[in-house]
Amino acid sequence: MQRMLEAGGIKPLTDEIRAADENNPKGYYEYERVKKLKDDDTGWLNLAQGKSVKIISALLEYLPDEFSYRVLFMQRYMDEILASQNKMLVDRGERTDKVSDEQMAQLYEDHLQKVGAWLEKQNNFRVLYVNYNRLLQDPTEPLAQISKFLDKSVKVDEMAKVIDSNLYHQRKSSTETDYN
Amino acid sequence: MKTIILGLDAFDPGIFEKLHEDGRMPNLGKYVAAGNYSHFAVSNPPQSEVSWTSIATGADPGVHGMFDFVHRDPSSYSIIPSLLVTKTNVLGTQFVPPHTARTLFEQATSDGYPATVLWWPATFPARPEIPVQTLPGLGTPDIQGRLGVGAVYSPDRELGDSPFKTAVESLEKQSKDSYRGYLKGPSRETGDGLKEMDLEFQLEIMDQSRAKLTFTKQSLELVVGQWSPIFEVSFKAGFLSSVRGVTRAILTQIEPEPRLYFLPLQIHPLHSTWRYGTQPGFVREAWKGYGPFLTLGWPQDTTALEEGWISDDQFIALCESIIDTRERIFMHYLDKFQEGVLANVFDTLDRVQHMFLHDRPDIVESWYSRLDDLVGRVEERLSKRGKSKPRLLILSDHGFTRFDYKVHLNNWLVENSYLTMRDSAQDKSLSSADWSRSQAYALGLNSLYLNIQGREGQGSVPAGETESLRDKLRQDLLAWKGPDDRPVTQEIYTREEVFHGSNLPNAPDLVVGYSPGYRASAETGLGKWETSNLEANVDHWHADHCIDPNAVPGVIFSNSDLKNYPQPSFRDIPPLAIGKTIEHPDAPTNGPSQSSEEDQETIEERLKGLGYL
Repeated sequence: MQRMLEAGGIKPLTDEIRAADENNPKGYYEYERVKKLKDDDTGWLNLAQGKSVKIISALLEYLPDEFSYRVLFMQRYMDEILASQNKMLVDRGERTDKVSDEQMAQLYEDHLQKVGAWLEKQNNFRVLYVNYNRLLQDPTEPLAQISKFLDKSVKVDEMAKVIDSNLYHQRKSSTETDYN
Repeated sequence: MKTIILGLDAFDPGIFEKLHEDGRMPNLGKYVAAGNYSHFAVSNPPQSEVSWTSIATGADPGVHGMFDFVHRDPSSYSIIPSLLVTKTNVLGTQFVPPHTARTLFEQATSDGYPATVLWWPATFPARPEIPVQTLPGLGTPDIQGRLGVGAVYSPDRELGDSPFKTAVESLEKQSKDSYRGYLKGPSRETGDGLKEMDLEFQLEIMDQSRAKLTFTKQSLELVVGQWSPIFEVSFKAGFLSSVRGVTRAILTQIEPEPRLYFLPLQIHPLHSTWRYGTQPGFVREAWKGYGPFLTLGWPQDTTALEEGWISDDQFIALCESIIDTRERIFMHYLDKFQEGVLANVFDTLDRVQHMFLHDRPDIVESWYSRLDDLVGRVEERLSKRGKSKPRLLILSDHGFTRFDYKVHLNNWLVENSYLTMRDSAQDKSLSSADWSRSQAYALGLNSLYLNIQGREGQGSVPAGETESLRDKLRQDLLAWKGPDDRPVTQEIYTREEVFHGSNLPNAPDLVVGYSPGYRASAETGLGKWETSNLEANVDHWHADHCIDPNAVPGVIFSNSDLKNYPQPSFRDIPPLAIGKTIEHPDAPTNGPSQSSEEDQETIEERLKGLGYL
């Protein structure tokens, strides 16, 4: 999404501290200080105005009230998320057997439901849910929605050009036949 | 806080904009010129009871729990009309509120302001514990506790042979110009079980155009083709008790034999078995000062028109009298309005469009003009207030479009092996499904459910297979083309995409966003179907809105603030109306992460392991 937005004309806020790797060969498009939101490190948000910044759902609640946010909330099949995360954990030398996929899925689903309900109540957040799987499958409608959500300030054609289905490497095997 | 909400049910932006371009919307057109008009993103699905509840709560159905006209009991697959929910307790069977989510009206009263809400859907039965003044709208039952059908009386005994929703009753000829009938009322418990109460009446033909309708204590003169005034009827229920209701009658013909039609018997607001409105003094004031009025949630009798008991003109005359009465009541409270919130949903345009959009644009457009005139009268009254002019929000719950094909979604599920019937099945109904071999079923006008193990009474789909099944269903439905080679569905939504809140577990698994021109058949709504997947719609009811919400946006006009809402939606109405969002107690308030500490730590540990924290 970050690459797409960049192609569409919205600059990302990144620091390039986290280098590209096998999981994300085009880079992570991350900004390290985002991780410190919970510690009240919010001064950098002035730099983020008019830009895109990647923030995980668990940190949204720590964003200060004085700014307005438009959130492109990425959704993806849970089993794909877990498969992707397990691979990243292995690559980072972390254990994957502390919590079962089933338990983790339940925790994430509860978490996402609560984040969704919380976002609904925030006057300074506007949210568009973007289905990652659908975006790769046929980006036409999702891109139209994103364009509308961002007040048509992005170049949709340029965004479509950078969609890289090669990155879609954790697609659930049982659903492959549905797409092909 | 001073806010007027004028709800124009089904006011469509496309039709409005065309009329505006033609210079036929002088009052609402001013808002366009001032930049205070916008399309309005409505709820999914765009059904009136869902949409108005979403507007009142600023939340989607995941919060308020109104997902469709019809819900289901997953254990038995039985249908539950979402607007007429009952509970049985020691006091017997009682209606309970269709939702209890906090509304902007309740919030206004909590903040110390008065709130008056007229004809808003899903506000029956009244909730006396909340100090909002209400006259309820869509969802208010008839005197028998049903959504309500009328009754036609005729000496023609063959008339009752055809299957009508309307009750066809006998009119007994007693002499040359005199007939007798019995108006059927609610049932009551007797020593011999439930017995239907009735009320004898006489019909005496006076001449070729007039007749006298006589009940025990009252007489009315009827003119052929004209509605009687609203009148009260009383059914004797016991030694000292009676059940009172209201109705209107119309003598639709005298020759070759008389035919008399009664509107569904409706709750008498001052003598109701159920809690009709709040507060009692408010209902009394409205009834005695500005009534009588029809109380049924759908008083514009589309069934009688569909079945041919009344003509187009008679239906329109009924609609006109309903909106005139409601405007009279609304204007009274507008004149009295000092602070707080006053809201009124005018729903007659919706009924008119259902019946006339496809072939009588002249009628439909005249109703848009009528509502524009109404807005002009409201503005005129507000202009006399000088500087203390309230905020005015004018909005609709959805637009409108044609309804050319009825979609028998369950038949499609059968043909595509998602739903399997028992070998011995006699009827086309979910009651004949072989649930052990069924993966999905449709109930309601936009709802599709998976038959999930552990959730449904006879679930067959393991919980771990639901995502792939939903995806396959979605792909198959989106690939479905109609006879005009257009897609039958425009979008299929997963419940997580469109619903967020504590009621999510009750939500349909998929929400079907039909393409314009297509809509679920009435049979689908009740878990039934016909033999074809698509049936050409030849009904009078030939236009609808229960499709993809992006195809039927509503409208919003405001005399302030709208420029700060570039894409206004139902979520914006509480902030626009009362200056704040509504806290829904079932959802977390101080942040979303109110999981147990242990769960929270597990998530954080995972995110740290991934380098995200």
